[in-house]
Amino acid sequence: MLLANRGFVEDAHSAASGKGMPGVRILGTTIACESTVAEDIASGIDAVFDAIVDALVRPLSAVEAAPRMQAESQPRIAFRGTRREVNQFFYRKGWADGLPIVPPSADAVAEMMQGTDLPPDHVVARIIPRMGKATVEKIAVNAVMAGALPTHLPVILAAVEAVSDPKTRFDTFEVSTGSWAPLLVVNGPIRKDIHINCGSGVLSPGDIANAAIGRALGLIVKNIGGVRKGIEDMGTLGNAMKYALVMGENEEESPWDPLHVDFGYRREDNTVTVMFPNRYAQTIPAETSAEGIAEALAGMRPGSLSCMMVIPDHARIFSQEGWSKKRVRDYILAHAASGGRQRRLQDEDFILVITGGPGVWMGLLGSAGGFGNSFVTREIRLPAGWEALQKKYGTMVPVYVRY
Amino acid sequence: MRRTIPFLAVTALAVAAAFSVPPHAGGADADQLEVLSPWADVDPVPVRGLSPRVDTLRGKTIGLFANFKRAAVPIQDEVARRLKERFPDCETSLFHSTLPNVTETETENRERFEAWAREVDAVVAAVGD
Repeated sequence: MLLANRGFVEDAHSAASGKGMPGVRILGTTIACESTVAEDIASGIDAVFDAIVDALVRPLSAVEAAPRMQAESQPRIAFRGTRREVNQFFYRKGWADGLPIVPPSADAVAEMMQGTDLPPDHVVARIIPRMGKATVEKIAVNAVMAGALPTHLPVILAAVEAVSDPKTRFDTFEVSTGSWAPLLVVNGPIRKDIHINCGSGVLSPGDIANAAIGRALGLIVKNIGGVRKGIEDMGTLGNAMKYALVMGENEEESPWDPLHVDFGYRREDNTVTVMFPNRYAQTIPAETSAEGIAEALAGMRPGSLSCMMVIPDHARIFSQEGWSKKRVRDYILAHAASGGRQRRLQDEDFILVITGGPGVWMGLLGSAGGFGNSFVTREIRLPAGWEALQKKYGTMVPVYVRY
Repeated sequence: MRRTIPFLAVTALAVAAAFSVPPHAGGADADQLEVLSPWADVDPVPVRGLSPRVDTLRGKTIGLFANFKRAAVPIQDEVARRLKERFPDCETSLFHSTLPNVTETETENRERFEAWAREVDAVVAAVGD
């Protein structure tokens, strides 16, 4: 039998069912999560001790001895109704994310699938914890819901592949109490093709590509992976970055090789790199010399794993003073304060991405590492008709009224 | 007659317009949509029943599994203490999983874990969360 904090009982049942053991006897306790207080633990066990004994000795029921899981049947057509009714239906089913969705009609999904040459029934990945089959069509359905364009689908497909790589330890991050959000860093010419923001307000709302690609991934994790808030996703406080956290590297304004070249790709390749931060901090350097900027970066206390966001102006200052990216990284490694439970920062623990617009702020997106996880990069593959597709949807950019 | 014809024409046009308006007219938002499901299929998971229960804890060895979370071992220490208090001839055996965020059966500790499981009569697992 299993003891868990009462808030995790549903989560535990879901996990047991997922492993083919729906009948595991689970007791909820009042013991605070990760409690370090002896009295709290003693009183919690005191309250359930009789139930513990009972769970160990009470004979199994017929269902516990021989459970039968009901086979899930998934009709391809989910619903018929007005746009408003579709939204209400999807929300009540737990398929939406709190915002209105674009109804995924068959026509809209077929249009979305122009973004790939893969067949609709091709399984891109199986997503934990349900091990749902992320077919191209299912991914496209969720992409339509998110408001993505067909030209976003190649990035979304690569992102699904990337998060499904065991090296990301997505199995941990997605369900953790830490509320970790998927960060996608996009490199290569596709950024310009589909208007992924790499500059001013790179992480702010307002750009379809950044917003829809990130949102699509969130819906995919929920509807294909089966991750439901409070049941499998046990994020204690939650994280607004789970709506969308997508940035392009500002390769054009960087004096150095971009991130994907550091990882062995060619500059002309398109890639997406994934990690799972739960914190975002910004700071400004006391001095805007190269050393001052480096000192400020190190002072942000990057841990394993971290994405350090350096704005183009600071990258230019580094370059003007003869600092290579390696020199900046070496400085951070030598001067980054380690504290708490973190081990000393290692070279593979952080990435340095040139992004953002004019200003003086630098940023850090912090995750956790040290348990066999790492950044994962996947190449973005384009369909044969990419040029035509890009021409068709490439004009989707906001034109602001000047006043 | 001259006044009647325009009146009749207008009336006829109005009637025709009334019958040509679709019942759900109200703009695009009122159109009926057929939408696909975003919920994915899964391969069936073979289900297993629970292990038979012991008839008593007296004279038994109870396995206490603690995951890597910091409350798990103290919880099991308390369970062990109470088991010993109530069932003096009951033994306990602790398995402490120290690898974070992994299932023991999927790690290099698999053999050790399975050997431990074979040596106990029942298991209480604590996840510390």
